Amino acid sequence: MGRKVNNTICRCEEITEQETRDAIRKFNLRTVDEVKRLTRAGMGLCQGRTCGPLIEKIISEETNKKISEIFPSNKRPPVRPIKIGLLAKEEKKES
Amino acid sequence: MNKIADVVVVGGGIIGCSVAYCLAKKGVKIIVVEKKEGLSFGASGANQGGCALQIFESPVLELARESLKLYKNLSEEIGYDIEYENVGSLVCSVDEKQFSDMEKHVQNKRREGINVRLIEGDELRRLEPTLGKNVIVGVEEWHSCTVNPFKVNYGFAYVAKKLGTEFLFSTQVKKIETDKDKITFVITDREKIKTNFVVNCTGAWASEIGKMLGLTLPIRARRGQIIVTEPVPLNERWRYILDADYLTTAFNLEAVEKSKDPRIKLGVAGSYIQENSGNWTIGSSRDFAGYNSRITMQTIRYIAKRVIRFMPKLKDISCIRTFAGLRPFCYVDGLPILSKINNPQNFVIATGHAGEGISLAPITGKLISELITESRTSLSIDAFSFSRFKKYNLN
Repeated sequence: MGRKVNNTICRCEEITEQETRDAIRKFNLRTVDEVKRLTRAGMGLCQGRTCGPLIEKIISEETNKKISEIFPSNKRPPVRPIKIGLLAKEEKKES
Repeated sequence: MNKIADVVVVGGGIIGCSVAYCLAKKGVKIIVVEKKEGLSFGASGANQGGCALQIFESPVLELARESLKLYKNLSEEIGYDIEYENVGSLVCSVDEKQFSDMEKHVQNKRREGINVRLIEGDELRRLEPTLGKNVIVGVEEWHSCTVNPFKVNYGFAYVAKKLGTEFLFSTQVKKIETDKDKITFVITDREKIKTNFVVNCTGAWASEIGKMLGLTLPIRARRGQIIVTEPVPLNERWRYILDADYLTTAFNLEAVEKSKDPRIKLGVAGSYIQENSGNWTIGSSRDFAGYNSRITMQTIRYIAKRVIRFMPKLKDISCIRTFAGLRPFCYVDGLPILSKINNPQNFVIATGHAGEGISLAPITGKLISELITESRTSLSIDAFSFSRFKKYNLN
């Protein structure tokens, strides 16, 4: 399998390029969500804002598909981390 | 394009892949048909990965017990780490009125041969400082485990594929052809598959497949919402904590519907799991919203409020993600359907696991594979048969 590629792809979860490529090859992954689920890349504090596009590019290389053909990751709320205590607060009536 | 398979498994979730894995080990030629682009795109990919033995009652308890045993050695068996952890479980209460229920729970569980222990508030807090002063009583037990549900799902699929199973992704079943009382072909939007058996493992979508054969499968999608937090230091003793309300809201639909409490009406009862990475998954809720699998702020707020009652310190940690999934819930009795049927005689149903599909996946695969290859199963599945609905007018 050639030389190990130790570039960090996901800084939040400290996942390397090699780990993502290994998972893609082992399980024939084709979507960013699958890579995220099996490697944890994109599961950290920034929720894939940095690594998402990188993973798309890696999948495109591994599967010989255009980036536009790769399913992007599902974006889930919240947009930024928010304290549980704040989530629990009653909504103020908006005028 | 025409294909041939002994068995067509519809659905690439944890149940479908467990069935495929168990059948493939017996040398059966299987085709798995999955409408999404990968595995785990339904409830298998939207859960907390917990398998708590003490929440089950007979007859599902017998399944859960065997399933937990199967999980113990699964990583070795499939040669892939599913992140099995024997974390035990603690069911606890913040309601004085539930104290006697918890004592009864202990008696019931002991009668069933489950080694549980009742612990009162102060002792609980001494053992687990994360628990708040509202928690008055808890019941611990050490059979329960957590797994990484994605890894279980993909692990099963990986071995099944090595043993010859074919996976068709982004492929939807459109029609099932029969001749007299037997299925002959499965027609997808891409191919026609000749087959001897069809197993319906489509979870919350199972009734859609049933309809193709003129059958009413009493399965409705029950939505569950979950919060994920940033990683924090691991709890000292319990990393799998359940709200005593879970015992009723998860299994007793009547109690949920009759309740006047808006939280219970949304099915919000705590299930808190701290992963090995330190992240908490904070669940969960149960409501019926068709096939809508988005979160709602109202429910997320109730879930957040509830967890703070049990573990006040969690209010200062951050939620980094929320998600929701659709669980297959049998609205007649809340039990799974694991069954062959009379007509067509080669149609097998494996769904209705509700919020416990991860717990029950290994045993479901084993039993369904036995049902197909041996016509008898190592554990009785009579309680889960499709014929139990005869007495109800489902249409």
